[in-house]
Amino acid sequence: MSPRTTVEGPVTERPFNEQLGDFETKHMRINVGPQHPSTHGVLRLVVDLDGERIVSLRPHVGYLHTGFEKTMENRTYQQGVTYSNRMDYVNGFAHDLAYVLGVEKLVEARVPERAQRVRVILTELNRIASHLVFFGTTLLDMGALTPFFYTMRERETLQDIFESVSGVRMNYGYYRIGGLYRDVPEDFEQQVRAFLDTFARYIDQYKTLFMENDILLARTRGVAVLSREQALDYGLTGPSARASGVALDYRKAQPYSGYEDYDFHVPVYTEGDIWARMSVRMDEMVESAYIARQALDRLEPGPVIDPDRRISLPPRSELENSMEAVIFHFKLVTEGFHPPRGEVYVPTESARGELGYYIVSDGGSMPYRVKVRAPSLANLQSLEPSSLGGLFADMVINIASFDPVLGDVDK
Amino acid sequence: MTAPTDGPEPVQVRSFDALVNDLEALGGKRSDFKGMISVSVPKGSIIEALRQARAAGLEMLTDIHGMDYLTYPGHRGKRFTVIYNVHDVAGRRRLFLRVDLDEGESLPTATGLWSGASFLERETFDMLGVVFDGHPDLRKILTPEDLEGHPHRKDFPLGETPTLFNDGRFLDPASFRAGLSGRDAGLTGWKGGARDGVVATQKPSNAAVASVERERSGS
Repeated sequence: MSPRTTVEGPVTERPFNEQLGDFETKHMRINVGPQHPSTHGVLRLVVDLDGERIVSLRPHVGYLHTGFEKTMENRTYQQGVTYSNRMDYVNGFAHDLAYVLGVEKLVEARVPERAQRVRVILTELNRIASHLVFFGTTLLDMGALTPFFYTMRERETLQDIFESVSGVRMNYGYYRIGGLYRDVPEDFEQQVRAFLDTFARYIDQYKTLFMENDILLARTRGVAVLSREQALDYGLTGPSARASGVALDYRKAQPYSGYEDYDFHVPVYTEGDIWARMSVRMDEMVESAYIARQALDRLEPGPVIDPDRRISLPPRSELENSMEAVIFHFKLVTEGFHPPRGEVYVPTESARGELGYYIVSDGGSMPYRVKVRAPSLANLQSLEPSSLGGLFADMVINIASFDPVLGDVDK
Repeated sequence: MTAPTDGPEPVQVRSFDALVNDLEALGGKRSDFKGMISVSVPKGSIIEALRQARAAGLEMLTDIHGMDYLTYPGHRGKRFTVIYNVHDVAGRRRLFLRVDLDEGESLPTATGLWSGASFLERETFDMLGVVFDGHPDLRKILTPEDLEGHPHRKDFPLGETPTLFNDGRFLDPASFRAGLSGRDAGLTGWKGGARDGVVATQKPSNAAVASVERERSGS
């Protein structure tokens, strides 16, 4: 473990045993959570301590297990959108996108350009909202109360946009197989532009306030370091992996939804400490805002859903004078569509890491198997190697630095 | 923090096709679907296949999950398939390694290659009941400790809560639907509700087992 630095300089620390001379200490087992605000949901940790040092750490998860995968196997493909966003309730659009991309690959839907652009805007804004929650709660865990109010203020503006688009604030369900549920409201562009303009001003303030704060630097630099090898060994993905030097971002590696059209770069840090994990997310917010602005500039009027009647509902106006439209409507609502047999997996980049739905079709109107590769479960394993040997108080902010959402862990 | 035990990794990165050829030499069968490359390998050589994939540059194990083909129409092979999802650090090459298993068969653990396999194998064990030999801590991970059965098996009914009526009568949804549809409630003998005070449903009968067997053999 690298030496801790404070504002006064590096601190040499000796083990408790050494300071006391020949003195045997016993390990103490402590139970953290599941009902504790610093565990970001219902995460239980069993920690063995030698003094203040962690000698073993075991996460216990599953308190939020709801069986979404099993439920989705008993609903039609279109109904799956209702469940996907409920897993990661902070970053719902990313889950919706990963799910619809999987099914669209299966049925070979042609998503109109406008729908692609709106998806990119909303998913990137949702990434910003998720990272804002990350900063608010992480700093709250460090004892800083004020940043929470700042970040929640920004997130509130975003929630208003999401509400005006989809009708709800958290469980959006706005994406459809082949496009979007409906077009965005008329003032959407104006709302997003207003947010991006204020956000550009605030982000510099956040950088100064959060990332250049002496107390924060003392608590996060060189703390809970995870090397690149460890990150690969533990299957860490997303911003936390990019803080350890793993330059993997599926928006660049395997672009989907037209990400190849946008100009952005992927922030990568090599320090692997808590500070790096925070810095990656701070830089990502800037990039996300930049992507959203580009997508907004290229937003052209047009259809928002694949007109293929086998997968999308006919518009309301057709129902009154077309018998075929009524038949398609009836079949889609009561039975759903039947994708060809096959197994698909589309990796996407959520705010937490690699997110993909492994969807198996047996030719029926409901998926035979849905397996969610949720990033938080795999990422949670990195908590142990990064916390070992560190202080108990650092572990609390270390949990926050991996940004786990327990709904995403437990499914 | 488990490092691979077989010394330093080979430096040269083989091409993807060379890797797939090597895996086919191990007895693997390649199948492509919409750009996704899967190789089905025999049970005994899965660890060797994973090691070769890793040596060929597919350094990240993203997921381990399983499938239950019990009710898949026309399926003739073994009941379970466990799928390993490995890819390279750049995220451009991805390989799905598949192993077919029957009820009661177990797999060697991959935790010696990737420490991150631990939770993934525990999840597969929890959801499907596939045992991974040599796993350091193979416990359930997501479902409650007192839940019997493995929820992602196809004969595990949807877990609605049994309803208690005023006259003390329980309505168990799985049995209720079974009565309506003529299908049996399942093999796992799921006891409705996980906590105390809930009446258990019927044990699986031999007739139920036989009917599922018939369905699997496709007759």
